[in-house]
Amino acid sequence: MTILFSLGIVRGIIWGLASGGVAAGIVMAIRSGLGLPMWSPGPVTGVAALVGTLGFLTGLGAFNYWLEWALGRQKEEHHADQPRWRRYFGFDTNHKTIAIQYMVTSFLVIVVAGIYQLIDRLEVSAPGMQYISPGTYNSLMSLHGIMMLGAVLLGVSGMINYLVPLMIGARDMAFPHLNALSYWVTPPAVLLLLVSLPAGGFDTGWTAYPPLSARAPLGMQFMLLAFYLVGWSSILGSINFLTTIFKMRAPGMGLFRMPIFVWTALSTAILQLIFTQFIAMAFLMVLLERLLGLVFFAPDKGGNVILFQHLFWFYSHPAVYIFVLPGLGVISEVLPVFARKPLFGYAAVALSSLGIAGGGAVVWGHHMFAAGIEDVLRVPFMITTLLVAVPTGVKIFSWLATLWMGKIRLDTPLLFALTAIVVFLVGGITGVPNGIVPTDLHIHDTYWVVAHFHHTLFGGFVFPTMAAVYFWFPKLTGRFLNERVGKLHWAVMTVGFFITYLPMFWLGLNGMRRRIADYDPTLGLGPMNMVATIGGFLIALAMLLFFINLVVSLWRGAPAPANPWRSQTLEWQLSSPPPDENFSAPPRVVGPPYGYGTPGSIHAVVAPAGGTANKGA
Amino acid sequence: MKHVSILALLIALVSTGLVVVFQNAHLTPTVAATQALAVDDLFKLEFSIAAVILSICLVTLVYSIIVFRRRADDEGDGPPIHGHTFLEAIWTLIPLAIVVALAIYGALVLADITRAASSQPELEVKVSASQWSWRFEYPQYGIATSQLELPVNGPVVFKLHGTDVIHSFWVPEWRIKMDAVPGMETVLRITPTKVGKYKLLCAELCGLGHAFMEAPVAVVEEADFLNWVKAQPK
Amino acid sequence: MQHPTFIENRLAINRTGLWLFIFSDAFLFAALLASRYYLLGVLRPQEVNQPLGLALSIILLLSSLTAYRGETAAIYGDIRRFRRNILFTVGMGSLFLVGVGVEWAEAFHSFPPSTAYGTMFFTLTGFHGFHVLTGVLALLVVLLPGQKKRLAAGNYWGVEAMVKYWHFVDVAWVFIYPTLYLVS
Ligand code: HEA
Ligand code: HEA
Ligand code: CUA
Ligand SMILES: [Cu+2]
Repeated sequence: MTILFSLGIVRGIIWGLASGGVAAGIVMAIRSGLGLPMWSPGPVTGVAALVGTLGFLTGLGAFNYWLEWALGRQKEEHHADQPRWRRYFGFDTNHKTIAIQYMVTSFLVIVVAGIYQLIDRLEVSAPGMQYISPGTYNSLMSLHGIMMLGAVLLGVSGMINYLVPLMIGARDMAFPHLNALSYWVTPPAVLLLLVSLPAGGFDTGWTAYPPLSARAPLGMQFMLLAFYLVGWSSILGSINFLTTIFKMRAPGMGLFRMPIFVWTALSTAILQLIFTQFIAMAFLMVLLERLLGLVFFAPDKGGNVILFQHLFWFYSHPAVYIFVLPGLGVISEVLPVFARKPLFGYAAVALSSLGIAGGGAVVWGHHMFAAGIEDVLRVPFMITTLLVAVPTGVKIFSWLATLWMGKIRLDTPLLFALTAIVVFLVGGITGVPNGIVPTDLHIHDTYWVVAHFHHTLFGGFVFPTMAAVYFWFPKLTGRFLNERVGKLHWAVMTVGFFITYLPMFWLGLNGMRRRIADYDPTLGLGPMNMVATIGGFLIALAMLLFFINLVVSLWRGAPAPANPWRSQTLEWQLSSPPPDENFSAPPRVVGPPYGYGTPGSIHAVVAPAGGTANKGA
Repeated sequence: MKHVSILALLIALVSTGLVVVFQNAHLTPTVAATQALAVDDLFKLEFSIAAVILSICLVTLVYSIIVFRRRADDEGDGPPIHGHTFLEAIWTLIPLAIVVALAIYGALVLADITRAASSQPELEVKVSASQWSWRFEYPQYGIATSQLELPVNGPVVFKLHGTDVIHSFWVPEWRIKMDAVPGMETVLRITPTKVGKYKLLCAELCGLGHAFMEAPVAVVEEADFLNWVKAQPK
Repeated sequence: MQHPTFIENRLAINRTGLWLFIFSDAFLFAALLASRYYLLGVLRPQEVNQPLGLALSIILLLSSLTAYRGETAAIYGDIRRFRRNILFTVGMGSLFLVGVGVEWAEAFHSFPPSTAYGTMFFTLTGFHGFHVLTGVLALLVVLLPGQKKRLAAGNYWGVEAMVKYWHFVDVAWVFIYPTLYLVS
């Protein structure tokens, strides 16, 4: 029992529940004092959720450090000797712990969100209403979307957290306490998302367009609050990432010696820092409209429904590059190692991330081509949208040129990276008809778009994440993932992916709208939908294999040496797993990150663990 | 150089094949409006470009992993090629040219399909979309119905609005869609070219009944249309 | 410090972080201002209380001045002058909040939140007021007795951070004031 209560998370939950309950009571008391009916689900649960989150964080000890600081006490940073597993359940400030917390949370959310959509896939595998009601369909579909995207944000933060400090030769993030706080606001957010379904769900899709979202059931409010929290996690995280990259690079680590993953993290963080404010504000406005009767989006009272779409997409388009840039960075890390060649066109690939980020910032209108915006807006947005293809193409072509003439080792990480390239390419190419107004007016809000973005998301996040896990798992744990199971996982997932999503292009062109629980049997869409559903279950099977592989390899995997892939980047020069403080002394960076093929080329000199920097080495 | 020639040949073969497939597979529904014709031409061009780009990348990738696979005992590295300025310029500039050309063509088609027909007077139909039904008003005839009936080959201008939440007007055979937004009026121009029965689908999620928010559409000969108008209650 | 070989410039790191935070927060106001112009153009009802608006602006500008003086005093180690100036700033900030309260009470009648202008007015002043509130609390923190030791030791990062934040809140008002009271 005492062990249980000494876990931060347990204390947090107790505090969270207690403070949430008290807050609900106070709101109800105030309401009855004002002569309003005491119970009104919106305000009561809304305040309880926010206060409960703060209570949770307080109980967890998230604010202790700042409290001490404010009181003028300098807290001793001591790491009590506790069993390793326990740090994952408390407010631990080590970036590697936080990264793993992020990744595990991300995977859990993906499983829930995936199962939600599998239920929906069963429903639409044939025309007619089979298993669930349209309301349930819409709620599951909407939650699938928002939870998957939340999970992607978590996964991205996880990867950046683990890799960036190691790759630039820093001991930790710039603000470790802020870093832990950024993570710990997400479990309450996940909880709110899970509560959303029993609270009535919501039938607006992840996009939450008003006026529909202003009228949707209570579940809507939980989703808006949850994403608001995730948004803050994202913003605080990006401050950390940027400061770390700007200020904590090891001596000699010039910008153009950084591994490409760090470049993509940089671009991602810039996007998060600036644009997340807009979705936070857009969602908050809907909340205010629901709770306090403000009229931002109520057309009959002087509001404007298009305003929401501008605010929403001003974030959510750049967000799609937040989702994929780190994944594309992973591909750029994996290819040179397994092709045994330097990354082709390093500078161009590095800058293309910034190009994608910059270009992606001014294209948001392409989601609104059919929303009634003027032609003078549609045409410029079409041009900017298409221009983003250019820096993305630079990445793809450079990857291919990296493979060319290499000495390619088809290990699991590379296999996933290759699938990722193909899938992302198809996703990008099918974005082009979306970006061209007249063709978009046909495929907008159809399964074409669904297919497009699952390709980009799988190609830019899911498959690269798999590559990343197979690649860095030995670094994280000191053990290999099982290669046989890995190859099987790869094969099932790749095949399952194409079976699921290629038919959706055809479906979209031929009249299958998005977000429908049922469709007209005379359209002839049944067979292809059945194929897609079968594919969806294949992906689930592959995920199952993946999780089994993870768990089993964690305690029975073959032991891994420090640098099993003979990579040159910094993280591989440390032991597996790396020591708590990463580097015992600042590494000295002396060359490019991917100097393969040049005899004697090294990226950095790292002092042996425990020793001090040897200036002469 | 040998590799490059083989690769070029393979790419040429595969892309020709893919282009032929994409041009001949009927990927889009029947064309039943002048606007649909213009949109389909654009689709065809986009698919061909996609076919070529896909072939270039996929063939290169597959070729590389087959031909440049490491031999079992080879622990060495590949050649230290860091880049190639000319090549990089090429693959920046050619896509740039392609997308600019596509954007210009797209803008022209857009102008084409949104332009009012000058030769004939337009039939105006006011469309109200509500949760979860459609209503059509013909101001020129003073009638209002729940099904859409139109004369073939006559230009129609739809004035759309939503009465509660956002809906979207879409007949797949006509291709282009437009949202019906509360608080404003949006415009869609269609010239149906094929007599027949179609279905109007709501394409913007609008709540519980979204999947079922359809309305019958009939495109008929001019004379039949006038008869139908007379038969409607005023 | 267990690792003397790692020379991290804490102050530079902190400053970078703070600037990034302020930069990000600025976009919150950018989103609100953009929404206001999108919804209403330059429309403005006659009923806004001009004298009060002007008074609020002057109060806030003055408080920024004293905040600056407080920071300078802290840098030079003049603790008494520092406390006096920051206290004055806190007072001005609180006065500002009271003024906003008065303005809100009036606004409820002339343009309630259920009108488009009212919606934007309450949201803009509300979010800005919240920032003022957090700013006041932040300034109170550096006045806490425990902080004295730190200042005496020449570590004035806390003061610098809070004052920078206060300037930011002030600058935000420089954009909000004309938007709500002047344009038309
Ligand atoms: C997650 C990542 C992600 C990425 C990377 C992209 C990338 C792109 N997206 Fe996508 N998109 C989404 C996720 C993503 N998208 C999501 C989630 C939605 C739906 C949201 C919703 O409504 O729910 C969406 C929707 C969406 C729409 C709105 C569709 C609609 O609702 O009607 C449009 C329209 O323009 C669009 C366009 C593009 C374009 C042009 C790119 C480009 O960046 C792609 C560029 C890449 C390439 C083109 C391939 C590589 C390039 C070459 C090999 C060079 C040569 C190429 C040419 C010459 C063309 N996307
Ligand atoms: C990263 C993001 C991501 C990912 C990974 C996925 C994964 C999947 N998506 Fe999703 N999807 C979105 C993001 C994502 N999606 C978004 C943003 C939307 C838009 C929502 C909206 O319109 O608002 C959407 C919408 C969407 C639709 C359209 C719904 C509609 O418009 O009505 C469909 C339809 O088939 C679909 C299918 C699937 C399937 C079958 C998977 C599968 O790949 C999932 C497979 C994974 C699992 C199942 C979990 C792991 C499984 C196990 C651990 C095994 C154990 C379980 C069982 C065997 C049951 N998704
Ligand atoms: Cu109306 Cu969907
Ligand atoms: Cu987009």
